[in-house]
Amino acid sequence: MQSLKSPSNTSLLNLYRVKNQTNKSLLGILVLLVVGLVLIPIFYLVTRASQKSFTQIQELLFRQKTFEVVATTSLLVLLVVLLTAFFGVLIAAGLHFVNLPYFDALIIVAVLPLAIPSYVFTYTWIALVPEFSGFLPAVFILFLTTLPYVILATLAGLRRVDGSQIEVARSFGLNHLQIFFKVILPQIRGHISGGVLLVGLYTMSDFGAVSLLNVDTLTVTIQNMYRASYDRNAAAVMSLVLVALSALFVVGDERFKSKTLRNKSIKTTSVKTYSINKPSYQVTVFSTIFVYGVFAVLVPVYVLLSRFITNPVAVDWSSLLSASISTFSVALLGAVIALILSAPIGTLLSEKPTYFSRFTNRAILIGHALPGVVIGLALVSFGSKISFIYQTTFLLAFAYALLFLAKSVASMTASLARVPEGAKEVAATLGMNKWAVLKNVVTPIAAPGIALGTTLVFLTAMKELPATLMLRPTGFETLATQIWSSAAISRFNEAAPYALILLIIAAIPTFILSRPDKADKPLSTQEIGK
Amino acid sequence: MRKLRNLGLVSALLLTLVTACSSSDTQVSELTIYSGRAEEFIAPFFEIWQQQSGIKLNVRYGDSAELAAQILEEGKNSPADIFLSQDAGSLGAISNEQLFTPIPTGVAELIPDRYSQANRDWIGVTARVRVFAYAPDRISLTPKTITDLTKPIYKNQLAIVPTNASFQAFLTAVIENKGRAFAKQWLLDLKKNGVKTYAKNSAIVEAIDKGEVSIGLVNHYYVWEVSESLGRQINAVNGYFEANDLGNLINVSGVGILASSNKRQAAIDLINFLTSEPIQNKFVSDTHEYSLIQSINPPQDLPSLAQVGALSIDLEVLKNIKSTQDLLIEVGLL
Repeated sequence: MQSLKSPSNTSLLNLYRVKNQTNKSLLGILVLLVVGLVLIPIFYLVTRASQKSFTQIQELLFRQKTFEVVATTSLLVLLVVLLTAFFGVLIAAGLHFVNLPYFDALIIVAVLPLAIPSYVFTYTWIALVPEFSGFLPAVFILFLTTLPYVILATLAGLRRVDGSQIEVARSFGLNHLQIFFKVILPQIRGHISGGVLLVGLYTMSDFGAVSLLNVDTLTVTIQNMYRASYDRNAAAVMSLVLVALSALFVVGDERFKSKTLRNKSIKTTSVKTYSINKPSYQVTVFSTIFVYGVFAVLVPVYVLLSRFITNPVAVDWSSLLSASISTFSVALLGAVIALILSAPIGTLLSEKPTYFSRFTNRAILIGHALPGVVIGLALVSFGSKISFIYQTTFLLAFAYALLFLAKSVASMTASLARVPEGAKEVAATLGMNKWAVLKNVVTPIAAPGIALGTTLVFLTAMKELPATLMLRPTGFETLATQIWSSAAISRFNEAAPYALILLIIAAIPTFILSRPDKADKPLSTQEIGK
Repeated sequence: MRKLRNLGLVSALLLTLVTACSSSDTQVSELTIYSGRAEEFIAPFFEIWQQQSGIKLNVRYGDSAELAAQILEEGKNSPADIFLSQDAGSLGAISNEQLFTPIPTGVAELIPDRYSQANRDWIGVTARVRVFAYAPDRISLTPKTITDLTKPIYKNQLAIVPTNASFQAFLTAVIENKGRAFAKQWLLDLKKNGVKTYAKNSAIVEAIDKGEVSIGLVNHYYVWEVSESLGRQINAVNGYFEANDLGNLINVSGVGILASSNKRQAAIDLINFLTSEPIQNKFVSDTHEYSLIQSINPPQDLPSLAQVGALSIDLEVLKNIKSTQDLLIEVGLL
């Protein structure tokens, strides 16, 4: 502490702050660049929509069908969000606080469905239950698809809960549920709402499940207009309606999030200091995860495998291998690009909110609700003018980064916000330059969260279909395109090997990331403490 | 002087090189195709041609309409040389934007002119007939005309695919022949009669087999295709409206050469190949489509086009596909 008062160190601190100012303007430029890229699809939509006359736009907007699909979409989002919020928090809290047998297996089961495309869920459920069609089945499938977002986000939040407060609450004699609602929930609202946001935006953008189940959402309408009408301008108008709807959702989410109690201490409690052994809790949590596992993992795997076994086809190993490598590498590249793009955004958003940062956040989130086909066509429109990048794996990876940027930005922001400004300043006074601060202070604290965001982008990019179909190099097959082309003509036996490989590739990072004790270790033995 | 002569020589050489490249038909090594025909069915044909011609085909498979949307978005920068489409509507959309180059007369000469675009922007390859697929045990009285479908006996029984290009081509013909008011009323009556919409033709046939619906408007080969892919007999058969009813419309799949392509001759060779007699016979036996060449037999177990009494759509009419879609949007089916 003494050294901080010495003049040389004070000037170092001032120098750090001055440098911080110049870095601000550089940061602003980088953020603007990224936002510019993110807004490409919106720019494309506005250009297209503006080619319709005012009366045409009016007619499109105020016809009955528009009201119907907006209502259907809103109700679908609402139900899926409520269901995933309830079960996601239940499962995450259960995994975190309750002593459970087969813990590793349970956590994989809870997160693995993230890698299964919604159309695979739908096809396999239809194969199992022939009558499966309509609104409620769509809610069910989207619930299965998106539940891991809330589980992962809530788990991340639970690891940051201030353990001392729990101890205090226990000493006051509060029971488990009271502790959860009074002490824990207020601290993790922000994380839950982050997960719920991804759920809502995904539900708006999903095409596979809703179209197969005959539910007319905005995305289905948009896709149908592109597919069937060649009327790209009308589709653009409807896409802007979707943008408006997602904007409402994002603002609503901001309201909710702003009530979260901030906890900026670095200290975290280890999982096992507070661990419930009550049988009723154990049974509830275990059976919830078990049933989810049956519906979301066992059913798809069972249908695929049984079709494969009863009607076996010769597995084309070389095509399986090349599709696996293609999928892995292009999804990884997309995740890395998303990581790079989200660095300046996350840095901005982790600081005090300003008008500019709020705008940036909204721009990124709103783009997240756009269906893959819109991002795909926008990039076809721009990319085809630059022949050396058009239909290359780079452009495809870039599309993934744009599509899923919100995922990596959210984790980046949350992680960077956890790095106390004080720690950076202390490091600066100790004579570290900004790279050293980044390396020794920021990275160790933020790395696990950033890795989670990057992995989320990777996992979702692996199963992406509509943008992949438009932007992939000609002849380039991913696991998703192979699964789609076989499943679309009901040949599950041919789709099975590809779907199983997709699950295996997805399981590895899921496993590494979702083990809380492993993920927490770097945090509890924080190098800052040295 | 000598320098100048050298320069002349070099530029002459360069010029021949450049012209050789641009008209490079003799040395084309690759051709890029956007194919709306499923890989499953068309890939074997491409394989034969690759072996015969020594030209490598880069095939981009996708939905015809989506590929058309992509070509429209790419405009003059499209990497595609050829667009092979499931339906005439998608071809018409490209043709409307003048993105095709006309195919010279003498190419694909066995295909009657009425199956190609008037300006030869694109040429028909195979034909499919609109039929109704139905479950014979649940439908005792089959419809004679499309108007019959609005009757109470088919309430909540009928399925259509409003997004499907073949359905839209059929509806366009209805509008052209009976007027927009009739078509609109027909669609509204169908809605009132509880018509169910599906995303794909094959989904309709599967729904009939499963008992979700009993009758659906599809192309003639879906009953065969679905039964083939399920590996069993299904509870659905083809039915035909009475002769010359618009419900029995003929629709074609076709092919066009992109104006932006500089590999025209190779593209023409491929079109000649696809429309040659042996290959047309192979289409009939392997994909269950009708050949556009009259002397070639219909697919196994199916009546000939003449027996069906199928109307052939005036392909020029497909230019109006957009107003058809506007109608579908207006009545809320899109």
